[in-house]
Amino acid sequence: MRSFVFLGVVIMVYGILFTIVPDKTLLALTGGMAIFLRIGIALILVFVLIFTLNLFLKPSHLTRFLGKESGIKGVTISALAGIVSVGPIYAWYPLLKELKARGVKTSLIAIFLNDRAVKPVLLPIMISYFGWVYVLIFTLATILGSLACGFLVGVATGEGM
Amino acid sequence: MKIAISSEGPSLESKVGHRLGTSAYLIIVNLETMAFETLKNPSTSSGRGMQAVAFAIGQKVDAVLTGYCSPAAESYLTAYNIEVITGKEGTVSHVLDQYKPTKYSLPNSSLARPGKTLRQNVSEALLKTAGQFGKMLPILISIVLLMGLFKAFISRELLLSIFSGNKILDTIWGACFGSILPGNPINSYIIGGEMLKNGVNLFAVTAFMMTWVSVGIIQLPAEMVALGRRFSILRNTMSLLLSIGIAIATVLVFNLIGG
Repeated sequence: MRSFVFLGVVIMVYGILFTIVPDKTLLALTGGMAIFLRIGIALILVFVLIFTLNLFLKPSHLTRFLGKESGIKGVTISALAGIVSVGPIYAWYPLLKELKARGVKTSLIAIFLNDRAVKPVLLPIMISYFGWVYVLIFTLATILGSLACGFLVGVATGEGM
Repeated sequence: MKIAISSEGPSLESKVGHRLGTSAYLIIVNLETMAFETLKNPSTSSGRGMQAVAFAIGQKVDAVLTGYCSPAAESYLTAYNIEVITGKEGTVSHVLDQYKPTKYSLPNSSLARPGKTLRQNVSEALLKTAGQFGKMLPILISIVLLMGLFKAFISRELLLSIFSGNKILDTIWGACFGSILPGNPINSYIIGGEMLKNGVNLFAVTAFMMTWVSVGIIQLPAEMVALGRRFSILRNTMSLLLSIGIAIATVLVFNLIGG
C-alpha cells in the first residue's frame, strides 16, 4: 500500500511540475520511459528467475536451520538464508529477535542482514547497467564484506564467530 | 502462510498442548519467514475452549496443529478454511519440522510435494511471483520516474560539484547517500546506473549500492528495538566503514581486470 502512496506522490510531483515547466517535465517523462525500455528485457528475466526460485526453493527451508548450526556451516547457512530471503527487512525482525533471544550469535545475524544485499535474481538489471565482470566482482565483494562485518561484530560483542 | 500450534510453554522447545482449548499458549508461525510469536491462550480457564477457536480465527492462521480439538471447535475452524491437524505430540519445533501443508498453498515444501501436481505447483509459484513483482513494481516505476526528473532537473554540473572526482571523498559521499534510505537492491542498481551515466565515478556508485541494503539510518530505530541498540549501531557502523573500503577494492580489482 505504501508503495502505491509513494508512486502517487511521484505522479503528483509530475503533475505539479507539468503546470509550471511543461517542457522539462515531458523531458523527464521521456527520460523515465527510456530507462524503462532499457531495463525491460532484464525485468522479464528477473520475473522468470524469481518464478524459478519460488518453484524450487523456499526460504523457509534455510531459515529452519538458521541458528541451529555454528562454525563454517552456520556462517554458510546464514549467508545463504540472507541471499534467498525476500520481503522488506522489518518483516524479518521478529524472527531475528527470537533467534537472538535463543542464543544465536549476533555475528550470524549480521551476516544474514548484510547478505540480503545479494540477490542473484535481480542481477540481470545490474548487468544491463554495469556488465557481468563488474557484477561478479561486486557480488563476491559484498559477500566477503558481510563475512567481515559478521566477524567484526562477533569480536566487538565478545562472542566470536 | 500462518499456522497456530497449541503449546504448554512459550518457546519452540515446549511440548505441544494436549488440547487446543486449554493449552497455556498458542504459537503462531509464519511459514514464509519462520518468524513466530507466542500468545497466551485466552481460554485456559475451563469451559471456554471456543475462545481459542475465535482467537485462532482472529490471528488469520491457515492451519491449527494440536493434540486434540473438539468436533465443535474443528467445525468452526474448518468453516473459516482453517485446516485442523490433531494427534500432534512432542515439541513444537518437532511438529513444525514435520508439518506438511495439504489442502492449502504452502511455502514449506518443494516441487516434489506429495498431493500436488506439477501444474498446481507452477500455478502457485506463478501467482506468488506475480504478487512479489506486483509489490516491487510501484516503487520501481516511482524510482524510474524520479530518475527521469533527476536527469531533466539536476544538472551534470551540480552533480559533479558534489562528486568532485576525488576517489576517497566520492566513495564516502556515495556510502553516505546509500545509507540514508533502505531499500530493494534493484532500485540501487537503477539509481547507481543513472548516476554513472551522469558522470559520477564508479567508486561513489559502488559505495552507494553497497550501503543501500546493508546500512539503513531510517530503519535503525526499528533494528534497535528488535536486535538491541549495541548490535544495531555496531552492525550499521561496521557495514558503512567496510562498504567504503570494499567499494574502493572492488573498483580497483575491476579496473585491474580490464573493466
